[in-house]
Amino acid sequence: MPAFIPESEANGGMVEVFAVASGKGGTGKTTSTMALGMALASEHDVTVIDADTGMANMLFHAGLADADTTLHDVLAGEAAVEAAVYERFGMSVVPCGTSLSGFQQAEPDRLRTVVATLAAETDVILLDSPAALGSRSAVLPIVLADRIVVVLQPTIPSLSDGLKVQEYATTYGTGVAGVLFNRVTEDEAIDRIATKTEQYFEGETLATVPESDAVRDARRAGEPLLAHAPESAPAAAYRKAAARLAVRDRPVDPVADRFRSAVIPDHS
Amino acid sequence: MNVPQGDLLRKRVVTDLATPLAQALDAAVTGYARLEPGDTLLLDAEGVGVITFEEGVPVVAYHTGTDSGGTDALDDIAVAGPSRVALYELDGDSLAALHDTPELRVPPGLPAERLAGDPALAERTREAAPESRRRAAEQEQTGLAAVEQFLEDGDRIENIRERAHDQAETRAEEWGFDLPET
Repeated sequence: MPAFIPESEANGGMVEVFAVASGKGGTGKTTSTMALGMALASEHDVTVIDADTGMANMLFHAGLADADTTLHDVLAGEAAVEAAVYERFGMSVVPCGTSLSGFQQAEPDRLRTVVATLAAETDVILLDSPAALGSRSAVLPIVLADRIVVVLQPTIPSLSDGLKVQEYATTYGTGVAGVLFNRVTEDEAIDRIATKTEQYFEGETLATVPESDAVRDARRAGEPLLAHAPESAPAAAYRKAAARLAVRDRPVDPVADRFRSAVIPDHS
Repeated sequence: MNVPQGDLLRKRVVTDLATPLAQALDAAVTGYARLEPGDTLLLDAEGVGVITFEEGVPVVAYHTGTDSGGTDALDDIAVAGPSRVALYELDGDSLAALHDTPELRVPPGLPAERLAGDPALAERTREAAPESRRRAAEQEQTGLAAVEQFLEDGDRIENIRERAHDQAETRAEEWGFDLPET
């Protein structure tokens, strides 16, 4: 019997944090985060966090538009993390508010503590990340993650930005789980494009998700795609992506410390 | 590269560079757009991108920070996240010398393909191109073919990656991120 049980034993010693990222907006990051989360939730204890604190929209995807407490309150030091966690669709969902004042009062660095706290109680964390690389807070989710999932559309600016996101991630010691081609409208050349894209990305192509009205309808209904249209083609593609996203057993060193030491808070 | 100051038509932050390109095209603007990252801390160090237009159709592109021109400049102008864009009107005579610089010229539809990923806008731009530029327009790839062509240019992609890596390292220092030991 061990005399000392590490903190990470609380969740079997396993947690992996993924940042769902892209350089451009409109690629479907939030839809992808929620869909991957629901697909992974069939086997894992999953927590999804809206880390896009300046352009939050997870609350609209999860039917949480009326949520009293959000990540903004936690980042402002006005609420405990637990108060912003909502059990929805088989996952723990941490939405973020949409008000400008909430964003202004939030202290982005507190995200580290949020991730560290939740990491002790879940198997998989998905961070819906900002579509930008120009500020410290925008990049923080990528720094905190073990691996990123790059959401791409088959356009040059999206690929170019995806490459930049990957470079930031790898420079900061974060791995690449793979790429997700999203909102694909034309499939004739997409396989060739996916193959050519793979040579530049460290992960594989997790799935090609077709453009579909089901995605828009789910968003309007305030439900994740996999809850609203589980039989749709994009839902099937996301399940395939999640199956390929083999969640890794992380080392048993104390989980919280891993995230607390991920960055050095130095504002001096 | 010096261009006389034009008359400001619009100035705004955009998340999609199709917006200023479409505005220039629809208003048949002769002049230039000045583009810079919308949220960067390193504005002065990184410079700005400039695209000139003749009757709404892009003619040359260059970037003051990297001193690149033509297609290379489009790579530097493309930034992740929002961009600050200012569109200026300027008479064609003031742009003539610049437009006669072959290494700065870009095919008519390429900015829409590279910066906006908008094949429909690229096609509209090509259709608006004057007769003298039709040949360049016809040789352009469009849509997914343009994406494939981009992916086949390994040197260009390597260049994009190297610059992003260098930028990430520079910013890590400013942002107080502890880089992993390599």
